[in-house]
Parts: sequence; structure tokens; C-alpha cells
Amino acid sequence: MLNQIQRLSQATEGRYATDEELSFLADYGRSFDLRVQTYQKLQASEALIVQQVQAKMKAMDATLFQSGQEDITNKWKRDTLRTFRYAAAAMLADDPETLRERFLFWFQTIMRAFGAQRSCGVTYTVMQEVVKQHLIPPQANLILPILEVNRRMLGTV
Amino acid sequence: MANLLWSGATAPSHQTLTKLKNPKKHNHYGFKEFFQFDATQGTIVDWNDSQNILTTEDFIIGLVEGLEEEVGDASAATMYTIGCEWGQKDAFFFEKWFEKEFDRGIRQTNLLFLLETWWWPFTAQGWGRWEIDLGERKQGFMFINIFDSAVARTLGDVGKPVCYLYAGLFAGFFTELVRKQLSCIEIQCYSMGETYCKFLLGGQERIDAASFWLNEGATARDIEKRLKSGELR
Repeated sequence: MLNQIQRLSQATEGRYATDEELSFLADYGRSFDLRVQTYQKLQASEALIVQQVQAKMKAMDATLFQSGQEDITNKWKRDTLRTFRYAAAAMLADDPETLRERFLFWFQTIMRAFGAQRSCGVTYTVMQEVVKQHLIPPQANLILPILEVNRRMLGTV
Repeated sequence: MANLLWSGATAPSHQTLTKLKNPKKHNHYGFKEFFQFDATQGTIVDWNDSQNILTTEDFIIGLVEGLEEEVGDASAATMYTIGCEWGQKDAFFFEKWFEKEFDRGIRQTNLLFLLETWWWPFTAQGWGRWEIDLGERKQGFMFINIFDSAVARTLGDVGKPVCYLYAGLFAGFFTELVRKQLSCIEIQCYSMGETYCKFLLGGQERIDAASFWLNEGATARDIEKRLKSGELR
């Protein structure tokens, strides 16, 4: 969205934008209330969602929270909360491009440095299942594609 | 077109609102976050308080071709030496900002994380993304891939390796990091028609062997294979 506005202002230098060029703003306007509702719902359910993701993952494979002998549960929680908040903000602003540029490209290299791709892959797959249970379908449709971007970027080797 | 940001001496400090509010933020490599443009002073200061200048591809061509005209074949060695000195200086600069940002010493951290953190400002400045392969580190050598080398991308397909500045940068930085004399050679370059550049970093003996094989027409893959099987010449 922010990137699209920037591109629009560059493309329409010295002239008025066409209806077609403005259509993304109308789409955004129409989805705005739903985005705010979804954002608020994610904010209110954040702790529970992360807790449920953690419990599901632990039941699947407890070694996902271990790096060698070290218990990395707290680190996982910190990283997951941060990524979740960035995802919620990207959904609110309809701006996955900025999410990639300002966060995911960097975080991807850090997760790879720690060999955490498998853990990330499972985290953002399970998170999609858990989030779906907390939202009505139109809300889920806004956030799930962003969680899938997280999974693809952070969870693949 | 201005596309490369050259980082240099320490300048006025980076004081954007984001940094003042959150000085320990680590994901600060977005263009508008990493650089602070001060139009009144005419300065571009990055997150680590290093002064940057915007340069064009013409600048890189001028640098490479001008040097070739001045010193002929010695230009490759000159660029490598410039890179070495830059890398050595940058190792000290990096040590300082890393400790300040992460509250721990560079030797008290995961090596791959440390190296990714070192390279991120270069990525933000336009030097290209990298990929580092530490698989053979215990054998005393390693490989670094650079995607979108600023030098190679600018010069295009000229049929020979051109990224001597990068090779020197890696040699200088890693020599300081491991406190052991290391050398580096580019064994595959975008300017040879390949899709990315590949560097070998190691002791002089291995680099000499790789250089010999390269002159004999070996590919990066041949060299990698020979080194992994323990061959030296």
C-alpha cells in the first residue's frame, strides 16, 4: 500500500491519476474497517495464539525448541512475537513489500545463520492453523497470506 | 545512475527518530532507516555513523579503467591491496559497532550470525548480497558467493574476473577476525559470464594453487573439488 502510493505519486508526476490507477486506494478503503478489526483481534489474541502455537509444536517435536543442549524457548518466543507484530502491521497497511524490505530479508539471513529454518517452517505453518481458529474467514484471508510469506521466506532452506 | 554508497570516515552521528527511540533495533537495513540524508549539510550518514557518498557506475568504471591506465597489469594487485586495507580497518570498525549494538564481544557470538551482521551494511550500501560457506573452515578454507557485485555488474561480461576489491576486502577482514594471515582469490566472476561471483579464502599456499589451476583453465567447481579432496597442486 505505502509502496503503491509512492509508485503512484511518481507515475502521475504533473498529471491526474486515472480511475484505474486509483483503484487500489478504493480497494484499500473498502477493506480498511476489516483490517482494523483483524489487527485489533490479533493484538488481543497475540499471547494466546503464540502459546497455542508453542504447545502444538512441542507436542509435534520438542527438539524444535532446542539448539544443541540449549533450551531456546524464550528466544523462539521473542522472535515469534516480533514477527507476528510485523505481520499484523503489514496486514493493516496492506504492505507486504515493506515487511520484506525492512524485516524479512534481514531476518531470513539471521535465521539461516542459526540453522532455524525447520523451526521457522513449522512455526509459521502451525501459526496459520491456529490463527484461522481465532478469526472469521474474511479476517483470516487478510493475515494468512502474510504468514505464508513468513513461512516461505524464513522456513525454506 | 547513482546506485552505490561508499562508506568512509566517521561523520556526524545518525540521529533519526527511529534510532533515537530504539537505538538497539537490529533490523535497521531498510534504505530510509539505514541512511540519514542531511540535505543542509550535504551528508549521508549510516546507522553506524559512517559517512557515505553516492557514486555512479561511471565512477566505478573510471576507478577501474583509470587505475589500469596508470599502472597497467598491476591494477589488479592495487585494487586487492586497497581492499585488504579497507577490510582490516573495517574489522576494527565492525568490532566497535557490533559490541555497542549487541552488548557482547565479537568472539562471544555465533560465527555465522557475526558474519551475516558484518555483511549487512554492505548489502544496504549496494555491494550485493552474499552467501558464505563455512563447510571447509576446519580444513582452513572457505567460499563466499557474491550476487550482484557492484564492480562486475558495472563492467559487464569482460571475460575475466574483476572483483579484486572484494577479494582484498575479504582477505583483510578475515585476517583481522581470525588473527591469521589469509588471502583471497575470485575463482568465478559475473564478468566471466557466470551468474554470480565466487571467492576462495584461505592460506597463501591454497590461494596460489587455486590461482595456478585457474590459469590452467580450471572452473570454480574443479577448484572446489580439488581442494576438498586435499590436493594442493
